Amino acid sequence: MTSNLGQLGQHSPARSELTVIVPSGVPFLNKVAEYRRCRTLFVFLALRDVMLRYRQTLLGVAWAVVQPLLPMAIFTVVFARVLRPATGGVPYWLFVLAGLAPWTFFAGAINAAASTFINNQGLLNKVYFPRAILPGAAVSAFLLDWLVTSLFVISLVVWQGYRPTMAWLFLPLIVVVTAVLTMSVGLALASLMAMYRDVKHLLPFLIQIWLFTTPIVYPPSLLPHQIQRAVGLNPMAGVVEAIRSCLFRTAPDWSLLTLSLLSTLAISLAALLLFHRLEADLAEQV
Amino acid sequence: MKSISVRGLSKEFILGQRKGQYRMLHQWLAGRESNPKDRKSAPFLALNDVSFDVEPGEVIGIVGRNGAGKSTLLKILARILRPTRGRVELRGRVGSLLEIGAGFHGELTGRENIFLNAAILGMGHGEIVDKLDEIVDFAQVGQHLDEPVKTYSSGMYLRLAFSVAAHLEPEILLVDEVLAVGDAAFQKKCMQRIEQVGKRGQTVLLVSHNIQAVMRLCSRALLIDQGVLKLDGPVHEVAAEYLSTGGGNAGERVYPEGPYAPGDGVVRLRHVRIRSREGETLAAVELNQELGLEMEFQVEESALSLFPTLSIRNEWGNEVLWSTDVDSEWHGRRRPAGRYRVTAWVPPNFLAAGAMTVTAAMQSFVPRREHFREEDAVSFQAVDSLGAGTARGDFIGHIGAVTRPKLEWTMEYENGDPAGLSVSTPGRAV
Repeated sequence: MTSNLGQLGQHSPARSELTVIVPSGVPFLNKVAEYRRCRTLFVFLALRDVMLRYRQTLLGVAWAVVQPLLPMAIFTVVFARVLRPATGGVPYWLFVLAGLAPWTFFAGAINAAASTFINNQGLLNKVYFPRAILPGAAVSAFLLDWLVTSLFVISLVVWQGYRPTMAWLFLPLIVVVTAVLTMSVGLALASLMAMYRDVKHLLPFLIQIWLFTTPIVYPPSLLPHQIQRAVGLNPMAGVVEAIRSCLFRTAPDWSLLTLSLLSTLAISLAALLLFHRLEADLAEQV
Repeated sequence: MKSISVRGLSKEFILGQRKGQYRMLHQWLAGRESNPKDRKSAPFLALNDVSFDVEPGEVIGIVGRNGAGKSTLLKILARILRPTRGRVELRGRVGSLLEIGAGFHGELTGRENIFLNAAILGMGHGEIVDKLDEIVDFAQVGQHLDEPVKTYSSGMYLRLAFSVAAHLEPEILLVDEVLAVGDAAFQKKCMQRIEQVGKRGQTVLLVSHNIQAVMRLCSRALLIDQGVLKLDGPVHEVAAEYLSTGGGNAGERVYPEGPYAPGDGVVRLRHVRIRSREGETLAAVELNQELGLEMEFQVEESALSLFPTLSIRNEWGNEVLWSTDVDSEWHGRRRPAGRYRVTAWVPPNFLAAGAMTVTAAMQSFVPRREHFREEDAVSFQAVDSLGAGTARGDFIGHIGAVTRPKLEWTMEYENGDPAGLSVSTPGRAV
């Protein structure tokens, strides 16, 4: 690693360059360059979160597996008899687990990302760096967990007799879409929480409601017909549906997937707009 | 080419919307510009039309009272706050040191914290790897490097944090009150490092309450008062103006309880003030008036032979007086824990006129150790009183001397008569 490469890590432009500070803030193109320069910080912040999460725990990274397993056990005991859901021949516990894997990532990551601005008040008030790095790194730190969970789930899927198909090649793409969605929701929540502390109290309920409105413990077909068409508005519904149809070779619900993709796009744009309005005054707001 | 150029910079805060007070839902529903009568918030100009230029390699001090806008200025330059009006141009990489140890985490090891903190301060991965050995050497944390910093002593923690900061090498360095933490040895280290940085040709902007530090490190200073740039010029002129307008803790200073006051586990400084015999606090003292330098300290742990020391510096940074409590009843005796108040009395007609700052320090000699040294603890104005009873007498011109004592004058008068030499004292007829 040369020191030349290291200098790219500076937040401020290289030697001959000029930083102009005006009330209107940083032009968009400069901002992109800024984020590129700060990748070292991004990686270190994510690494810090990963290291801290499992330091002084007995199970360590095995928690990534246990976390979705516990609710799976509960849901299976409670709902398998009651709902008798049509899972297309997939064992109910596996059906639930396949949905809980991305959900655990999503819920954990947005919960952590949401409080990054208010928890790092000191940092925001003392050091400049592109602010979105904080929630971004918090979300990234959960990707490792998700990878571990996914490997575990996939081995269970194979053990249950499902053979890898070409459809599995889509899985990384689904991961990317989910990561973008999670970062957007995390960024929006972090911005909102910086302005209104109410979000902190609301968030646990929001996550709970979101879990049950996402077809994780039930297939979308269980819903009344009118609601079924709208379920795709919840982008996590698309994620869960896509993962299941890849893993279990069930027919994907294309209208649901399209709708989810569109709503992911809309949420991302809204999050960026919201954050953009707050960013320059963040140190004063938190 | 200018290194920093600031033009017409203003910053408005909407009071009532700042920290601690959040916008409520009902305000949001009512729209941002709700009924003006309801709003306690009024715009507050923290900075008002500030303009100045800095040449590359200049080391500039920014002084002013608490709340004058110094830190706001620095935060705008560091891009933490957004200006309301105006324009700033910075040429070259900017590093800001508004706090040392930003982002330190107790559960992480010293090494991990070095990486994280350096990245936060703006170093890239390669740069950190290159400088790691140097940083570790400078911090002197030895074998503790791979232990969590929560196990560090506060001194080790500070050394590690400062060490990372000291290896930041931007073209423009913004420093805020970093010198205000730590013990005397640590502060000395900070000063030396900033001196080096200045000599390397980097531009430094230093905000500090420590006027002596500013005078030592900077050639030029900016005085900010109520958001306005009041004076921009040679450092001694600015220092004199600052001190003469009652800046820098005129007359009295109280330190917070707990570990933030200067000191160590043995003794901590609590209170310093200038007083009269009657117990009045003085911000200005006439030259023919007696004054007391009072210092209050808390002995936390019974310790042998603590020597409180007080000294006075004038506006040029010369130490004009130094005194320690030599014949205290505690000489060579263990002081029990508790609060002590000592006063050193400066006789009337001793000091020269001008802005003075008082340094309060505490040492023990066996073993030799400085428990604290608080430069610029308080300041006061020594006022020249014209007229009878002063050392000035009937002289009206400028007196440049460092002290101006009223001495005893004797006279020998010779009148051509070798035998008739008579000695007289003032006031007696020959």
